[in-house]
Amino acid sequence: MSTAVADTPKPITSRKDPRFEVTMYKYVGVENAWTLDFYQSHGGYETAKKVVTTMQPTDVVNEMKRSGLRGRGGAGFPTGVKWSFMPPDDGRQRFIVCNADESEPGSCKDRYVLEDDPHQLIEGMIIAGYAIGATKGVIYIRGEYYLAYTRLYDAIRDAREAGILGDNIFGSGKAFDLILHRGAGAYICGEETALMNSFEGLRANPRLKPPFPAQAGVYGLPTTINNVTSIATSVHVMSKGADWFANMGTEDSKGFHHVQLSGPFNRNGVFEVPMGITYREIIYGLGGGPKVEAKAFIPGGSSCPMFPFTDEYLDMPMEYASVAKAGSMLGTGGLILIPKDKCIVDALYNIVRFYAHESCGKCTPCREGVSTWMPKMYQKLLAGLGEPGDLELIEDVAQNIRGRSFCVLADACIMPVQASIKHFRHEYEYLIEHGEPMYKQKSWWAEE
Amino acid sequence: MKVKVNDVELELSPGTSAIDAVFAAGYDVPYFCSQEYMSPIGACRMCLAKVGAPRKDRETGDWILDEETGEPKIFWFPNPMATCTTSIMEGMVVDTLGDEATKAQRGMVEMTLINHPLDCPTCDKGGACELQDRAYEYGSGESRFVFDKRHQEKHHALSEVITLDRERCIHCKRCVRYFEEVPSDEVLDFIERGGHTYIGTLDEGLPSNFTGNITDICPVGALLDTTSRFRGRNWEYDHTRSTSLDDCTGSAITIDARTGRIERIKAALNTQVNKSWIDDGIRFGHEYVSADDRITMPLLRKNGKLEAVTWEIASAFIAEKLKDVAPNDTGILIRADATLEEGFAAKSLAAHLNTKQLDHYPRPASSVIPTAPIATLEELATADAIFVLGDVTEEAPALDLRIKDALKGVAPAPLMPHGVPIADLRLKERMPRKRSILTVAAPYRVNLMRHAGRAVQYAAGQEARFIQVLADLNDGAKNLSAEDRNALGMTVTEARDFLKAFKDASNPVIVYGGFVLASPAATNSLNALAQALGAKVLAVGPMANNFGLEALAVLPEGNNGYATMLAGNVKALIVSGLDVAQDAQIAERLKATELLVVHDSFHNATTALADVVLPAKTGYEKDGTTVNLEGRYLPVNAAPVDGGLSEDLHGVVRNLGEAMGVRLEGRSLRSSRRALGNTLDLDLNAIPLEGVLRDAPAPAANTGTENDATGNVLLVPSMARTEYLSRNPHLRAAVGDSAIVMHSANAANANFKQHDVIRVNVGGITRRLSVRFNDDLPENLMLVPVLPEQPAGLSNVDLSQAELETIALEVA
Repeated sequence: MSTAVADTPKPITSRKDPRFEVTMYKYVGVENAWTLDFYQSHGGYETAKKVVTTMQPTDVVNEMKRSGLRGRGGAGFPTGVKWSFMPPDDGRQRFIVCNADESEPGSCKDRYVLEDDPHQLIEGMIIAGYAIGATKGVIYIRGEYYLAYTRLYDAIRDAREAGILGDNIFGSGKAFDLILHRGAGAYICGEETALMNSFEGLRANPRLKPPFPAQAGVYGLPTTINNVTSIATSVHVMSKGADWFANMGTEDSKGFHHVQLSGPFNRNGVFEVPMGITYREIIYGLGGGPKVEAKAFIPGGSSCPMFPFTDEYLDMPMEYASVAKAGSMLGTGGLILIPKDKCIVDALYNIVRFYAHESCGKCTPCREGVSTWMPKMYQKLLAGLGEPGDLELIEDVAQNIRGRSFCVLADACIMPVQASIKHFRHEYEYLIEHGEPMYKQKSWWAEE
Repeated sequence: MKVKVNDVELELSPGTSAIDAVFAAGYDVPYFCSQEYMSPIGACRMCLAKVGAPRKDRETGDWILDEETGEPKIFWFPNPMATCTTSIMEGMVVDTLGDEATKAQRGMVEMTLINHPLDCPTCDKGGACELQDRAYEYGSGESRFVFDKRHQEKHHALSEVITLDRERCIHCKRCVRYFEEVPSDEVLDFIERGGHTYIGTLDEGLPSNFTGNITDICPVGALLDTTSRFRGRNWEYDHTRSTSLDDCTGSAITIDARTGRIERIKAALNTQVNKSWIDDGIRFGHEYVSADDRITMPLLRKNGKLEAVTWEIASAFIAEKLKDVAPNDTGILIRADATLEEGFAAKSLAAHLNTKQLDHYPRPASSVIPTAPIATLEELATADAIFVLGDVTEEAPALDLRIKDALKGVAPAPLMPHGVPIADLRLKERMPRKRSILTVAAPYRVNLMRHAGRAVQYAAGQEARFIQVLADLNDGAKNLSAEDRNALGMTVTEARDFLKAFKDASNPVIVYGGFVLASPAATNSLNALAQALGAKVLAVGPMANNFGLEALAVLPEGNNGYATMLAGNVKALIVSGLDVAQDAQIAERLKATELLVVHDSFHNATTALADVVLPAKTGYEKDGTTVNLEGRYLPVNAAPVDGGLSEDLHGVVRNLGEAMGVRLEGRSLRSSRRALGNTLDLDLNAIPLEGVLRDAPAPAANTGTENDATGNVLLVPSMARTEYLSRNPHLRAAVGDSAIVMHSANAANANFKQHDVIRVNVGGITRRLSVRFNDDLPENLMLVPVLPEQPAGLSNVDLSQAELETIALEVA
């Protein structure tokens, strides 16, 4: 089934590699790419048709396992393995849920698929649903993505009218349909169990795990939840084969990923890159280098600890293991550049404020620590009222929060805080000592 | 499974939570969000401990051994674990005392306290506060939080009986979970998020019969019982563990009294009966005890006016009068929530006066002791098929909660060394409920029908026919007449499905209340049907001790009961706790008696006619024993309440005996218990708190007559005792005035508006009722709450004779 990808000795780890071609983002930015006609005239739904009519679900899952695709939502759990966790079919309704609640600051990779190529996601949902035996799919889309919502809404309607969704998809006699659900503006809904609660109409608090979604998910029924990119990627894995996919990237991290460049780059944007690409190539090659002098970059969205802007980190390949070893996470691939002249305490306050606002309030460390205490301590420092011992207090409170909260939202706030203190302690100390930040520039907008 | 907690090794069954392992080992961890009988959720993060477990080699299946010791190697979890949501594993090691665990706990106490106002000196919970205790035990003693605390509403009336202090709330979620998990009335939730989160409702009030329990389980002083707010400190209260005499379930309560007043009632734990929950009627229905107009002295009528006298004078007067009354001309009528010992005293007095006219009331037409095997509440809570006839949510609310336990399908957890498991991991938030096992039948839509797989509405008064048709179907009847089909309230297929499911069930239970008991025919055929179906039954009597008093035979001999006595067949009447003269005809007849002795706590229509009024103790001031609907003997203990010279029936018997110059049996609790202990073969002085379950006695022959089963108004049970409602201001505000519920078309004919207050004659008694509309009711049926003198069943009302007392305010 696969187009046997060459007997290449060396996998693709650079965008400069002539063998690399953009697949998932191929039609992003193309006018009318969101219509069913366009999608079908460019080979759309052929893969899903092939999968549903000719393959066994277990083969699909095995192919996904073989591809080595790891979840692109941030945690990097192998997608094929997740699909295989579904219990044997016992006649109960099963769900495939697509987590399109992309809210991590610095991330926007899903948005362009949802807006410009929604049929790709629908096709992926059909494949994923078929693989796990779900006849109902749920796309939980972030409330703020209104254009994406309308495009997806139209796409689902068109697909339904064309018989691509419904009781008899591709004439196979199998049923699959989609439910499109808009969020109401809560970051926590990106957490899979909170998403399920929110979808059910309940307050978006994370649920206790176990039971995991595969045992008791939406309405207590077997459920698999995947990120938009993971699901859309499955189309290409099934179309071009696991070998083609696995030929990109490194042993640890296979395939392609998307980096989203924000901050003072010469060229910001979303880029499809093979795994294993170095941060130097991303920042200088794709991003055109920093516009102003940089001192740090965040590799995977605001919740990931930052790296100093040094050769050691720039030459690091973008893969799960290396990044983790260096003390951060690959996350969503949302790369944020922090200029040298930005006060790191102020930058962190921005992040802390976000998590303080988004804490759901279920558990004590997050509600009282992240949502109440942390932002107040940063406010105190930034107001020039810092006293000796405040930094140690922040460190101690951070330690009391980290690893003790119910879900990882609190950790997502605390890890960047700890990393900033680790790498830029002198800026905190300067601020406490002098009552004013080491770097005073507040805005970068005026210059432009 | 072997588990090691600190230095204690113990063997526990799989599925136990780590926090229960810690407590079973005799150690302690702080916790706020876990609560017995509710799901563990791991929200407060207080019960953190360092947890580790050995691992098995994936390939060989052997334990991975520590190279140095040769023992299985312990792999510690990277972070401290919340023990309440962690299930024990073979060989698990829990460290609650090490530096890592204590630092985690101390850090969490500090964070819990940063937004807590620490207003303990003015807080009602002070001295009995979980947060206070835990802060002392596990906190560092000082706070590093130097900023403003969160400011929120401090006196928010969640309902008329519960006040919420939002600043004190630590967001443990016990109250929110309680409403979803225990009564399944989702009336409370978190609002807002993060540090701004608070507890609240989107509507007015808390529409549930079980709201007060959240004041018991609140670990801080955020949710408070409004009846007791600012009325005393916890260490000033006398705590009396007793059994509620409010309904026939025998729910365990703690009476907190101070300076002779009952300040609050709290739920007590009886794992076999009410677990740790009570309904609002029991909890908030105590204020009448200290009402201003309580009768505290014996009163003797002199020149047409009642005057305060001593017990000696009152008793001497009665004794003198009784001399002239022929033996069988004296009637003794006691209330059905009298204790067993009081019942014995009444019997003893009747025996001495040589009268057969003895009765307890309210006593339904049928025996409250079923002929079919009696289920226990534990069996009800684990039943796999339940058939309820009546409105248990109002009649015996504890049963309602046990039925909801059964719907969850989780059997009560066995007790652990430290009691009820703190975190039962089988319980989850928002568990699916097995509604299909529950069938509820009533003449109107009752609350429990919301949770029932099958809800059946039959015509009021047609219980006997309804049950007979079911029994016929069960016997294989093929052709039902049109009337029979009508009486079923469901299709024949549905009825057959229901009967089959009931027959196939391994532990089916039938619960029936006052509507069935009002008809001996219905009661008999239901018991026969239960036996045919292999089901056990529970009969909900109208008052606390109907079962016990009937078993003790505080009953008339022959046709000498309540109705006969009041029909003018007595020359002297001693009536305790019943306002029989509310009925104008009875009042007329009572005027003709030579002696009317009323033993009661408040003035009413009967005391207005009485020759002698004796002050009576309320159910909170007596010692004794009551028997609940399972046949369980439960202890009733007296709280230190100032009731003046009030006496229970022992006091009446002792004083009368002394005036008559005899030492009567039953002159004191001891005397009654001595005599009863011999006949019952049970030491009533040594009844444990959870009660003693005895085999059911034989039911008394059904002395009642079949009612005529016609009428346009149905007397329905009420959780809040109607006769005390006017003296229970908080409860009355919460549940509303006694109401006549009718279809709006009915009221339009009589020209009433919603919330008008009318005076109307219901079955002979003039009732003051507020008009409420419910268009789900049939047009020919109205609902009015029962009175002790007017138990459940059909009656008649003529709306055209109603007198409008207060017109409802027009709401613009």
